[in-house]
Amino acid sequence: MSTFVETMLGAPAGQPARITPDLVVVNDGICHTAVEMAGMVRSPAKVRVIFDHDVPTGQPEAARAFGEIRRFAKSNGMRFIQAQGVGYQYLLEQEVRPGMIVVQGGSHASIYGSVGALGINVSATELARVLEHDYYNAIVPETVTVRVEGTLPAGTTMMDAAMVFLSDNPCLAGKSVEFSAPTLDAHQKAVLCSMACETGAFCAAVTDTEGRDVTLDLSQVVPMVTTMPCPSRDVQKDAVRQPKEVLQGMKLQAGQIGGYTGGTIEDLRLAASLIEGKTLARGFRLTIAPATSADYLKALDEGLIERFIDFGAQISAVGDHSVVTQGAGVIGKGEKLLTTGLYTYAGCMGVEDSEVYTGSVPSVMAAAVTGQV
Amino acid sequence: MKKYAFELLKPEFASTVQPGDILVAGTNFGCGSSREQAATVLSGNGVRCIIAKSFARIFFRNAFNSGILLITCDGIRDVCEGGDMVTVNLDTHQVQANGHSFSFGAIPENLLQIVENGGLIEDTKKRVAAGLHPSPCQKLDETARRKKGFTMAEKLLRNNAGVDAIKPGDIVITHPDMFMIHDIYTPYLLDTLQKMGVEKIADPDKVTIIFDHCMPTAVAKNDSAHYDAGLALSDKYGITKLHVGEGICHSIMHEMRCAKPGEVATATDSHTITYGGAGNFCSGIGTAEMAAALATGELWFKVPEAIKIVLNGHLPDGVLSKDVILKILGDIKADGGQYKSLEFTGPAAHEMSMLARFTVSNMALEAGAKCGLFEADEKTAAYYDMPLSEIDWVCVDEDAHYEKVLTYNVNELEPQLSCPQGVDNVHPISEVVGTPIDEVYLGSCTNGNLEDLAIAARYMKGKHVPDDMRFIVVPATNKVYKDAIRLGYIRIFVEAGAVISHPCCGLCCGMPYGLMYDDERILSTANRNFIGRQGTKKTLSYLCSPAVAAVTALTGRVADPRDFATEDV
Repeated sequence: MSTFVETMLGAPAGQPARITPDLVVVNDGICHTAVEMAGMVRSPAKVRVIFDHDVPTGQPEAARAFGEIRRFAKSNGMRFIQAQGVGYQYLLEQEVRPGMIVVQGGSHASIYGSVGALGINVSATELARVLEHDYYNAIVPETVTVRVEGTLPAGTTMMDAAMVFLSDNPCLAGKSVEFSAPTLDAHQKAVLCSMACETGAFCAAVTDTEGRDVTLDLSQVVPMVTTMPCPSRDVQKDAVRQPKEVLQGMKLQAGQIGGYTGGTIEDLRLAASLIEGKTLARGFRLTIAPATSADYLKALDEGLIERFIDFGAQISAVGDHSVVTQGAGVIGKGEKLLTTGLYTYAGCMGVEDSEVYTGSVPSVMAAAVTGQV
Repeated sequence: MKKYAFELLKPEFASTVQPGDILVAGTNFGCGSSREQAATVLSGNGVRCIIAKSFARIFFRNAFNSGILLITCDGIRDVCEGGDMVTVNLDTHQVQANGHSFSFGAIPENLLQIVENGGLIEDTKKRVAAGLHPSPCQKLDETARRKKGFTMAEKLLRNNAGVDAIKPGDIVITHPDMFMIHDIYTPYLLDTLQKMGVEKIADPDKVTIIFDHCMPTAVAKNDSAHYDAGLALSDKYGITKLHVGEGICHSIMHEMRCAKPGEVATATDSHTITYGGAGNFCSGIGTAEMAAALATGELWFKVPEAIKIVLNGHLPDGVLSKDVILKILGDIKADGGQYKSLEFTGPAAHEMSMLARFTVSNMALEAGAKCGLFEADEKTAAYYDMPLSEIDWVCVDEDAHYEKVLTYNVNELEPQLSCPQGVDNVHPISEVVGTPIDEVYLGSCTNGNLEDLAIAARYMKGKHVPDDMRFIVVPATNKVYKDAIRLGYIRIFVEAGAVISHPCCGLCCGMPYGLMYDDERILSTANRNFIGRQGTKKTLSYLCSPAVAAVTALTGRVADPRDFATEDV
């Protein structure tokens, strides 16, 4: 019986396949250089050009990138999207349907696997090739099947579970990860798939596979953090994930809800539920960045934004704030930040001599009240 | 640094000047030298006294605070030349040269003492070390306060300083009723207070600290230090009025009713002038002055000349108070109000809401004004929840001396835009309409208030900006933000394609909330479009009212709100 990725690509594992996407996504993240490399665009109707990272632009250079991808979109008659928040979340909610193939430059393209679509992360060079030819060739990957069982203990989230999974399974690079997870809701599936390729897996999806190469027992999950800050973005995939208790008591100056992960309406509801009757620690700066405009509007309607404001949080513009070198929420020399975002490399949230740790929504909100892990 | 004094004008100056020399100069001496260094290089060279026909506003303060005696005197320049002997007699208020004698205005003892002690920092240090004996605050009584024949600036200053007779050019010692510090200056202020040996400030309850320029922290290498220093100031000096990331200082100050009609206020920011909309004498000061003022409770002001601005008629639909002040700025230019009190009166002034008045006062600064004052009326009394009879003395007297009177009929006014690259490059919208715009910014202490958001929302309800228009909305304060959420304005903006940032100074002060690239055009409701402020040196920046901002965002080109329908919101 074929695996998910074999079915989607029409060839068995180990064989070459021609991948013709239904949707091609270009954004202002690291892959935006693809627009300089692509001489022409074969199927403009399939392409979405999204400005979702440096919102609002934190430096003139970001405005230059905005202009560049905007011109690229306009001159090729492609749809240009901005001010909608994190592109992945926006497309997941608005456009991606089961059975689609989505090609994008970014390690979270696997999020589309949560609804049965194949999301593939490609380099800027490959992305340019896809834009020009409407296809690219790849070897169909091996599949690792994962059985997700049990229920999460109180105080833990799928973010913690995903970190446990990555920590326990270090050899996923190049693989297709297929989860069987009948008990998870849509948001939990999205978190799991989105995180699954952080260590270099080819793709991930939630399916009804009966295989169980690996078991992820949710009942054993503990709060997790990404600990050792890494020296550069290139080695971010080697970041170390450990139980949160290893950092217990460490003083923090800032926290962030959002930063690609953590800003969906489910996360915002959870965050708001954890501050009832509590106050923000003096000297602690809490930034809350809703993921998409749709999430933000829901949060407005539910009164969550007002509660965050009254708590003393700073509400950032919707968007992917996982890397902010200049803009709302950065940290300075010697400061430490705990974020639900994904990156911990030096300088990803401010100056190079600061430290960034990642954790779940409850971990960040607990820190906001106590000023420490 | 002192060897560079007058380097371009008079290269031999630094090598020939002698300690104790007196400089004699013409008009507007020190213009363009707003930095404290312009004064410190002169005092560093031993200059102790400058006599000029007039002095630039900021230089005047900085020079005294650097220990230089400034004397405003009209004739002496014409009767002497370099190398002549000039005598200054402080007892008789006379300067003499080559047999001619001229008189000059009073200089208070405290100010002479600052000069004698070698500047403000040294003076305060000595006073602190000697146990600091602040001068008593003796305001005028009700009868004296209501005496007629004064400009509003004169009334407010004489009342606070307890001086009955007052005229432009006099220097008075006030005891400000309110001090505000924002986070741009927290590290320097903390440092200066330490240098002065200040362990205790005069009245912590009169002080408010607001984090708004650097909060949310956005410039990684600087902002956290400003945050830490602000908290340290609060802790060390017992300043409990602390607002961290709750919005723009000036908007918070009137929203919290901190700077009241009839009072004197000061803050470490040029747009402190905003509260003039409530008939409050308020003006921005530098770090060293704030440190000294906090320690002593005192602050000196030179009584400004005043210009009366009479606003007749009614503002037409789509034309707002921002258009009024832009029009005035275009007419009198960036230096047209240099160290003047701009005093607004007339039916259209009284018709303006309080928030609309704050917009006008806020931007009066861009003409160089010392303050921009509105008369206290029923609206003022209602906004501040004070009996009108307590504040109605803040009004324009028919028999007061005004240097100039400007009269406008606002019936005829069309929307105005300040165009690149200077605030006073103002054009009526008919000359600019159709210009493509890349980004629209709705916010700032000028036009980020609830009324401003409501005006924009009326034009934008149910509509959408072009898909490549960057439309950024920053409510002025948390209260404005929450009210705008409840009233549905924020939803209207988001559905129209806006990005909402947390209340802060944001892009207005050049912080990273939508910075632009070369040749891109930004249209904003803020107060300054100086070169490079909102992006690169080649970014083109326009200023306008919230109505113009809204319809321009919708069309992607400068548009005239009078051509657009509004919806109820």
